[in-house]
Amino acid sequence: MGGSMTMRRAKRGSAAGMMTALAGVAAMAVLWAGTSKAAPTGSIRGVVGVTGGVTVTSPPAAQRIDMSGDRYCSEATAGRTVLDRAVVADAQGRLANVVVYVREGSAAGGGGAASAEPVVLDQLDCEYTPRVLAVRVDQPVIIRNSDATLHNVHVRATNNREFNIGQPMKGIESRRTFGAAEVGINVTCDIHGWMEGAIAVFDHAYFAVSGDDGSFSIDALPPGTYVLEAWHETLGVQEQSVTVPAGGTAEVSFTFAGG
Amino acid sequence: MLIRTAIGILWAVCAGIVVDVGEAGAQMTARELYEAGCSSCHGSDGAGVESGTSVAFTIPVPDFTDCTFASREPDADWIAVAHAGGPVRAFDATMPAFGEAFSVEQLQAIMDYIRTFCGNDAWPRGELNLPRALVTEKAYPEDEAVTTVTVAAEGPGSVVNEIVYEKRFGPRNQIEIAVPFGVAETGTDGWSGGFGDISLGLKRAMWHSYERGSIFSLGGEIVLPTGRESAGLGRGTTVFEPFAAFGQIVGGDGFIQLFGAVEIPANKDTGAETEGIWSAVVGWTFAQGELGFGRVWTPMVEVLVARAFEDGASTAWDVVPQVQVSLNTRQHVLLNAGVRVPTDSARHTTVIVYILWDWFDGGLFDGW
Repeated sequence: MGGSMTMRRAKRGSAAGMMTALAGVAAMAVLWAGTSKAAPTGSIRGVVGVTGGVTVTSPPAAQRIDMSGDRYCSEATAGRTVLDRAVVADAQGRLANVVVYVREGSAAGGGGAASAEPVVLDQLDCEYTPRVLAVRVDQPVIIRNSDATLHNVHVRATNNREFNIGQPMKGIESRRTFGAAEVGINVTCDIHGWMEGAIAVFDHAYFAVSGDDGSFSIDALPPGTYVLEAWHETLGVQEQSVTVPAGGTAEVSFTFAGG
Repeated sequence: MLIRTAIGILWAVCAGIVVDVGEAGAQMTARELYEAGCSSCHGSDGAGVESGTSVAFTIPVPDFTDCTFASREPDADWIAVAHAGGPVRAFDATMPAFGEAFSVEQLQAIMDYIRTFCGNDAWPRGELNLPRALVTEKAYPEDEAVTTVTVAAEGPGSVVNEIVYEKRFGPRNQIEIAVPFGVAETGTDGWSGGFGDISLGLKRAMWHSYERGSIFSLGGEIVLPTGRESAGLGRGTTVFEPFAAFGQIVGGDGFIQLFGAVEIPANKDTGAETEGIWSAVVGWTFAQGELGFGRVWTPMVEVLVARAFEDGASTAWDVVPQVQVSLNTRQHVLLNAGVRVPTDSARHTTVIVYILWDWFDGGLFDGW
């Protein structure tokens, strides 16, 4: 399933983005035709889970990161076990760091203008914090190095511009914006191979990242029917249709196969 | 090439950015700056950490202690890559951009420190590798391949090509071979063609000073009588040509080059004469882009003088205005085009164009 989803996602390039937007406009037009302008908005709430016993509470040995090759990182994390946090789930299999977003049914710019409030992508103890970041198009992203060692931030994007910056000093900050919607922008440090993260960029406000308990919430949605997609950096993509009632909340859940 | 590439490595471009470096970098020494920004990949000794070990990439890291690599390019190219990342010179994007972390002055300090890894002053610095003119031999020993086409713009038609291959060896030396070939209009016979006189050359940089911006070389060529005389492509005798070449940087991006040689034919019965050749080149290099990391242009003018060593011989003066331009992002493939205009009416104007490939910096189709 994940493979087919990925193929379909790959077909949506920047040109297809216009089709998505048009579809969104059409959907909104249909939606608005049946509702008054003052119709109250609704919400989507849900939980993302994973099967297969993939948890960070009982990690397999292979999930442990060996930082012994780097003196600073090994000293910074001395006394604790550092785990590969590609898949973060609790004992109940509730999955964190899943980007859940409205893929169809919302026109570009839905939810108002992007916030000028920057979000921070930090590098602390040789890990990205947060590991998965979701922002609006043109919303400032502060990339910070809180470690007293060199990190490079290599951002490999498709719809946006690839960049790679060196941040050699503790406290250094760089500000970036992303000009195009794109899910799954890969962020790595080429010096510390275990450092991986992801950025998702949206041209609307209807997205969320699941928390440590797997929960997410997307609010202030115009009532209507939407295609909701859930993206995980290693477990793939899932989607489902959801109808948001006026003034109400639609409950959904996603379950990924952890293998 | 005053501003050219090097650094077979890794990096990416950024734009429109605000950055807060903080106080940390302000008071650091050059060594501390290098340790903070470079040593994780390039090693504290400059030799480069072993790929695939402590770093996460497998691309070979250049060895700053290798003078062959580390001396031949000017600081400006290194700083361009350090500031904007590898892609600014079509190198790998794994080399990050440090333009937000370090000021240009700090990058220069790091460069000065990197230069200490090659502790052999016999290697002339890349700054002294001045742009190659269409005719005048330059003083800097190079690894280049140059294809030159000379077309008669007036008078009897001729198209003469010359392929020159140059190879450095050791800190100061270069050998070269030049193979001309072409076609020419030969009166009643129409057009005829063939090979010209193949030459073999040796050059050695006798003295150079980065501080003074000067380089002086001596060399010599043997021109073999391989050319087809009937097509005007050969002189029919071996010719020995000792020469001297001098280059001087002027005002940072300007330069003067001087050249003098004596052509000594082995057999004067062929009509060949011993001849003195002098030339001078004046030019200026400038680069496009806000920070000067873009395409490089070098307008220059050559003045060529030749006179046989015999009483009553006339002196031939030619002027060659020309423009050299880098063609690709790595800037190791360049084009130069100009017109050689004689000052007397006995000879004819020619159009000269060359394509230069600095093959040490990468393949001909790399770095575009």
